[in-house]
Amino acid sequence: MTAVTVRDGTEQSAISGNDVSSSSTVDIPGEDVLRANLYGLLARMLTEPPGEQTHDILCGLDGEEDGTAIGTALASLGTVAARMPISAVEEEFTKLFYGFGAGGEIHPYASYYLTGFVYEKPLADLRHDLTEIGIEPTGHNNEPEDHMAFLCEVMHGLVTGTFGSGWDRAERARRQQDFFRKHMAPWADAFFADLEAADSAVLYMPLAALGRLFFAVEAEAFEMAA
Amino acid sequence: MAKTDKKTSRRDFLKAAGVTGAAAGAAAVVLSGETVKAASPDTGNSAGYRETKHVKTYYELARF
Repeated sequence: MTAVTVRDGTEQSAISGNDVSSSSTVDIPGEDVLRANLYGLLARMLTEPPGEQTHDILCGLDGEEDGTAIGTALASLGTVAARMPISAVEEEFTKLFYGFGAGGEIHPYASYYLTGFVYEKPLADLRHDLTEIGIEPTGHNNEPEDHMAFLCEVMHGLVTGTFGSGWDRAERARRQQDFFRKHMAPWADAFFADLEAADSAVLYMPLAALGRLFFAVEAEAFEMAA
Repeated sequence: MAKTDKKTSRRDFLKAAGVTGAAAGAAAVVLSGETVKAASPDTGNSAGYRETKHVKTYYELARF
């Protein structure tokens, strides 16, 4: 098992100042570190366009083919990132999710996909569960919690043990499975498919492919864990 | 014993799918300026009323 430092100095500001040191180290298996990476990557990219640091990391993926579909999606992400300046990605992000006056192409909210409207019952159900887990939005942006970026960040925290540091392995696995199945699985495939097919998608096309593939693996892997 | 088998096959499955490949290892971004945090503990108002961000916004908009 690999001991994981849940946060380093650079992440200090991220997840509220409290309890950073007390829950700083959780033992999670190697494969979970990598699952956390993928949730983290999706969260980062869906929250906002990549900054320099993230863009550099993406460029490092260029050529990292390993013959798997997920490996191919990551390599494509790298190839495209290496050929796109950050300014172009920022414009793509704006067009995709906000639009220029007419609204964005993509609405990455559970409520929207499940009811046709935002701020609906799926969000209320989610807020109930978030309260139970003991997490809340930082207010970094004004998006509701049923935004895919937020949900991926929750999964990242559940996998690494940032949230629910008092749980044992079995509890942590059960919580991940419940959260994923209840709040993400019902609509994620449709969302990623839409994002991949969006007119404005360039870098976000391989990102969407990655999301779709990874979530399909997660859904099946949770079956195995059960 | 069954537990071990399940754990092994799940790990093998993730590996075969590419989740545990070199690329996934290289894809560790820094989640800074994030949107999720641990909830601040309840200040203990037994009435259950909490001046949340939404309540504050409402008061602001209603100009109480």
